[in-house]
Amino acid sequence: MIKTGKSIGFVLSILLSFTFSAASAQEITVSASLTETNIFAGESVRLNIVVSGQSLNSIDRPQMPSVDGLRWLSGSTSQSTNYSYVNGRPSVSYTYGYVFIAQTPGEYLFPSLSVSVNGEQFTTQSIRFNVLNPETVDPTQAQRSPDIYVRLEPSTSNPVVGEQVIADIVLYFKSEVEVSNYQPTSGWKAEGFWKEELENQRQARTTSTIINGVRYQRARLLQYAIFPTKSGELTLSPYEIVVQVRNRNQRRDIFSFGLGQERMELNTLPVTIDVRPLPSLNNATSSGAVGTFEITRSITPDKAFVGESVEITTTIRGQGNIPLIVKPEFEFPEALEQYDPQETTNITRANRQIAGTKTFTDIVIARNEGRFEIPEVSMAYYNPQRERFETIRLPALTLEAERDPRATPINTNELRFDVEPITGLANWTSPSSAPIYSRPWAWGMLLTPFFLLGVAFAFKTYSDKMNTDTAFARSQKARDKAMQELDKVHPNGDIKTGYFHIEKSLSQFISDKLDLPKAGLSHQKLIKEVKEKAGSTLSNELKRLLNKCETITYAPNPTQEGLKSDLTKAEELIKTLGKSL
Amino acid sequence: MRQFVIWVFIVGISGSITAQPSPQLLFDEANTLLEENEFEEAMAIYHQIEYSGYQSGALFLNMGINAVQLDSLGLAKYYFLKSNDFASTRYSSEIALEYVNSQFSRQSAMLPKLPWDKAVDSIKDGTGAMGVFVLGFISILISLFLVLSRWFNLWVFKKQPALILSFGALSLLLVALAFYVDYVDQRYSEAVIVTAEIQVKQQPDTNADLVSLAYEGYEITIDNLRSENEPNWLYIRLGNGQYGWIERGGSKTL
Repeated sequence: MIKTGKSIGFVLSILLSFTFSAASAQEITVSASLTETNIFAGESVRLNIVVSGQSLNSIDRPQMPSVDGLRWLSGSTSQSTNYSYVNGRPSVSYTYGYVFIAQTPGEYLFPSLSVSVNGEQFTTQSIRFNVLNPETVDPTQAQRSPDIYVRLEPSTSNPVVGEQVIADIVLYFKSEVEVSNYQPTSGWKAEGFWKEELENQRQARTTSTIINGVRYQRARLLQYAIFPTKSGELTLSPYEIVVQVRNRNQRRDIFSFGLGQERMELNTLPVTIDVRPLPSLNNATSSGAVGTFEITRSITPDKAFVGESVEITTTIRGQGNIPLIVKPEFEFPEALEQYDPQETTNITRANRQIAGTKTFTDIVIARNEGRFEIPEVSMAYYNPQRERFETIRLPALTLEAERDPRATPINTNELRFDVEPITGLANWTSPSSAPIYSRPWAWGMLLTPFFLLGVAFAFKTYSDKMNTDTAFARSQKARDKAMQELDKVHPNGDIKTGYFHIEKSLSQFISDKLDLPKAGLSHQKLIKEVKEKAGSTLSNELKRLLNKCETITYAPNPTQEGLKSDLTKAEELIKTLGKSL
Repeated sequence: MRQFVIWVFIVGISGSITAQPSPQLLFDEANTLLEENEFEEAMAIYHQIEYSGYQSGALFLNMGINAVQLDSLGLAKYYFLKSNDFASTRYSSEIALEYVNSQFSRQSAMLPKLPWDKAVDSIKDGTGAMGVFVLGFISILISLFLVLSRWFNLWVFKKQPALILSFGALSLLLVALAFYVDYVDQRYSEAVIVTAEIQVKQQPDTNADLVSLAYEGYEITIDNLRSENEPNWLYIRLGNGQYGWIERGGSKTL
């Protein structure tokens, strides 16, 4: 009899220990990198060795070998620790920094290093680097080069129509310039392109680069995916960005008061892109898709009642110009009634590409029972990597339509056109469709009530004043009263009585008009008031008439003609005074 | 001399009759041609009446029937919709519209109208902007009468100021509503697509992106204000709520 219990335990313990050691080894990573790979002789550069893992018990620091082109500053070694959670598990990384000084110009290789972690040896990759001769740099050119500028860098300058082009907005600035923040201005127009902003990092990561012998920090600020919509030379207009910068050489702003900061508006140069047309396509339908896609088509349901809506869904999924894809047209049998199609787009902007799904849904209704086939179709999209059209065959779809047994049977007679024409006398009209505001009578209707209101208001004000203001009322009625008094004069009657009425009429008129006391007024007073208000001509005429009225008793030969003449003159005087007073 | 005047009068009258025949005369002639299945000729005479500015429900109904015979269903729908505005032909045009709508292979999805738009439409179809304007005018007159009767103590009662204000506010509201309804009526027009298929573009440009396709019989709304600067294009709203430009000539405005 063979004993199996111990052997199974032995096998399990070996398996567990193997799994554990394999897992520990997989968790630990060791990498080395130089902060610069193009270094001027005399410049310092740091080698960073990063050891990371979830369980780091012991690490033996590597010994720095002699490296051609570099001299190690042995007292400058640094160490930092960083803790983080990776996939929900704690992880730690140790970074060891070693500072070197570049020596003789030339091309060199930093050798691989061996690091012992948890008793196990890990080897880093070797690193190529160049030591440059600073004397080869033209100092005037270096001085002329700008401290900071921004560039628009497309991923390709010769795409086809619809191909995705990544446009990077990259900031270049010298080491002595410190960029505290940046703000892109809205309204960048990429005419001739469909533009989608890609997911951008909140904080731009900088790398170092040498341009025309000058070291610049390079930071990619923003990324756009742009898709040319037509062929030919298309120009991307300048992109404007506002940055807040400070020169490190100025005195430090230890309290963060913003001292020495400067706001700068930077513009990229226009970039021209030569867009190639798509090649011609035969024996397939294109919906304008450029990229890599999967295209499928389905029908739901494939068995339906007459009059029930059926959806034919075409799904285009992948990476590329999804927003620009247009609906593919299919041939539908005549018996299928088509309704407006629906369209949905779902895109992602991560990982430097536009990806997602575009779905087109054709809605049809069978008008009769039967078996209907939507024919097979070949759909093509252009693959810019392979530089050719890829064709996908969409198989034929079948719909079986039958009558709903519960539905009320349709009487075919109902669909007959049995409307008879109307003959005989018709009622004719000539309509006018002029707007209300262009019809004068409409404005007349609107303004009439206000006009009436104004007239009524004026009348009411006058009436109220006549009732409450005695002086005004006397003045308004003066002429009528005076004329009534003159009407009492009979040209052929008694001369003295006639002049009495003329005198009374004149005195009453002037006293009413000027709101003077009704009684106790002398002729001199009346003449004086008229002279002041209406001038000497009228006062002289008044004086003459009043004198005649006063002295008529003593006149030697008063005549009826004289009375008539004075009556007329009195009437004229009252009229004239009515206008003047 | 008298005979000469009579002769000139008769010649003048007959001349004017020759220049502009009565719509009823033309209508009868076109109806005869319709009964004789001379559809093209009948339609030409119907058009002559229509372009002379005369309208009648019978005219539009017969034009719609003629268009059905000419297999121009979009045009038929247009004329039946026009005849539907006349009480005398409403019943027949509704039957005809039901038939014509059932013949279109493509149907447009129709979004329900907003309550405000429904209210404006019901005013347009009911009293009309002019009716509302007249109501506003009457309300102003009532308000004016109440003001004057109070001023001159002809008729005074306790709640008179409140009544004056109410009628004043009502008149302002009605006049403003009349102008708004009139503005909407002038700015937007209903129309029917009469060609088999027409492209709806994002911009008034043949190379612009395609928004959708509109098919014969689709009912659309034209924005006259936005369209007036484009001699060859119309800015429209489709029944499903999409907006775009179509070339003039593919639709007929109701």
